[in-house]
Amino acid sequence: MPDFSPEDNKLALKVVFYGPALSGKTTNLMQLHSLLNPERKGELMVLETRDDRTLFFDMLPIGLRSRSGLDLRLKLYTVPGQVQHDSTRKAVLSRADGVVFVADSQIAQQDNNAIAFGNLEDNLDKVGLDIDTVPMVVQFNKRDLPNVVEETELQGRWAGTPWAPLSMASALKGEGVIETFRVLLDRLYTVIDSEFDLAGRHDIDRTTFIRRLSASHGGDDA
Amino acid sequence: MRNFEDDPALADLLTPNQIQRLSEGLSALCREPVLITEQRLNESVPVEFNLETIGWLSGGASASEREAAAGLVSFLMLFVAKYRLAANLHHDTTEASYAELQRQNAALKASEARYRELSDQLQQQVDEQVAVIRQTQQELYESARLRSVGHLAAGVAHEINNPVGFISSNLRVARDYVDNLEPLLPDTADNRDMLGDFSDLLSESIEGTDRIARIVADLKTFASIDQADNALCDLNSLLLSAIHLVQTEYDHNLTIIESLGELPRIPGHPSRLSQTLFNLLDNAAQAIGNDGRILVRTQADDAGIQVTIQDNGCGIPDSIRSQVFDAFFTTRPVGSGAGLGLTVARDTVHAHGGQLTLDSQEEAGTRVILVLPAKQGA
Ligand SMILES: Nc1nc2c(ncn2[C@@H]2O[C@H](COP(=O)(O)OP(=O)(O)OP(=O)(O)O)[C@@H](O)[C@H]2O)c(=O)[nH]1
Ligand SMILES: [Mg+2]
Repeated sequence: MPDFSPEDNKLALKVVFYGPALSGKTTNLMQLHSLLNPERKGELMVLETRDDRTLFFDMLPIGLRSRSGLDLRLKLYTVPGQVQHDSTRKAVLSRADGVVFVADSQIAQQDNNAIAFGNLEDNLDKVGLDIDTVPMVVQFNKRDLPNVVEETELQGRWAGTPWAPLSMASALKGEGVIETFRVLLDRLYTVIDSEFDLAGRHDIDRTTFIRRLSASHGGDDA
Repeated sequence: MRNFEDDPALADLLTPNQIQRLSEGLSALCREPVLITEQRLNESVPVEFNLETIGWLSGGASASEREAAAGLVSFLMLFVAKYRLAANLHHDTTEASYAELQRQNAALKASEARYRELSDQLQQQVDEQVAVIRQTQQELYESARLRSVGHLAAGVAHEINNPVGFISSNLRVARDYVDNLEPLLPDTADNRDMLGDFSDLLSESIEGTDRIARIVADLKTFASIDQADNALCDLNSLLLSAIHLVQTEYDHNLTIIESLGELPRIPGHPSRLSQTLFNLLDNAAQAIGNDGRILVRTQADDAGIQVTIQDNGCGIPDSIRSQVFDAFFTTRPVGSGAGLGLTVARDTVHAHGGQLTLDSQEEAGTRVILVLPAKQGA
């Protein structure tokens, strides 16, 4: 749920990176932290175990200030993918405004993707959200590995869903991470704009929203 | 903080004591003392965390010194906040899990209660079925008993009635003949003794046959051989027959006080009523032993007929009174009765639209009151 406080003219949005264990959610966030150069970028907070598995969550705050003075914040969270952390996943997922589902492209991981997707649907339902209406992008990560499902096959399979087309990425190499994030920003904008009239009242149109929140070090390519 | 993720304020991260220690530590490193506050002071720089200004740092020798100190505080806050956020999240999820557990527990309890209710209902149904089976079994048993007693009584009555009849009339004729013989014999002392003896023998035999005839008549009444299933019954005569039969069973040693009022005839089933009265009297006779007495009283009023059979015998112990009406229950040694007496009596009375009440005190006696409506179906 967008959290708007009129007294500080501040709008806080929440995006959650969801997916099976070890699919690369934390890696996505770490790449965003180093690749992105938005107007405002906070510290990346990582709460992991000794062996790099996310224990509670990771979080990266970014933001922009519009000409009208709107203080727009986006907090990017990852959930722990391991099955046993379901109550933590639910707590992190609650009040989410957008979801990035990070799937593992490896052939052997397709069952885990399906289980995690079902778990996302259940948990969204439990926190009062609907998978069909929450802004969401589905990323197939680890494209750099050899035993992955063909992209054409994946795109074909997901063609009839609200999440087509899929985003392909290799988070480890930093490829497709920002692109995935931009697709999410695009879908998120539609929902937030209809509620807060970002374009009309705050002078933030769709391209401004996407460009200013996903500006990268390598130059402005959006 | 409402949610684990809400932006923390300085006070959420550090206690006033810790803020003061941090200020002192930084002051020792700077050329001029610095101060960390939640409010903005003159010449202060913001202390940021998560893009949020959580406090202000003032003092120091220069702007760059303030910036450096504020940066260090922000850096430290990252680690303090990590712990805070993790702890808050842990607290949230633990509470949510506990609430979920409680909800499951409540659901479990509810389903357990439903299950128990169901099992109670099942038990009740089983009990009801058992009662029906018992009742049917008892009625079957009782009707078979009544039928066999009736058949036996009918057979005996039929077989005995005729010979007893002609023995009795022959004996009377024989006594007349003895009277006729008397003047024809020589009047000697021996003859007088013999004729007197002869006459006495015949009189005793006649008395004996009269008693046999009476028992046969009682048996006939008892088995209602002569009567239809539903007839107008004279309770007094049914009662007298039953009394005679019980007396016969106890060698005429019972003290039975009869106080029979005038009764209207009531519609009913004579053999079942006889059996009922016999059972009640038989119970009373067993209760009084050798030196008690049984009081039998009948009376009638507008409501109907009331029969009281009261004894001053051993009574029924409290512990078993409630069981008295249960079929097959008996306080007597095994073999001395099926224990159906009272149950059958109550069922019979109920079948006649009446009431049977039992009033008993241990060592003082038992009173059974039987109320029958004057008109059946009342
Ligand atoms: N080859 C390859 N490995 C990757 C890629 N992305 C992540 N990994 C590796 O996969 C492992 C898991 O990555 P994480 O980002 O920690 O996975 P996660 O989804 O956060 O896992 P949990 O926190 O346990 O849910 C790490 O060893 C990463 O280096 C990728 O694109 N290609
Ligand atoms: Mg992780």
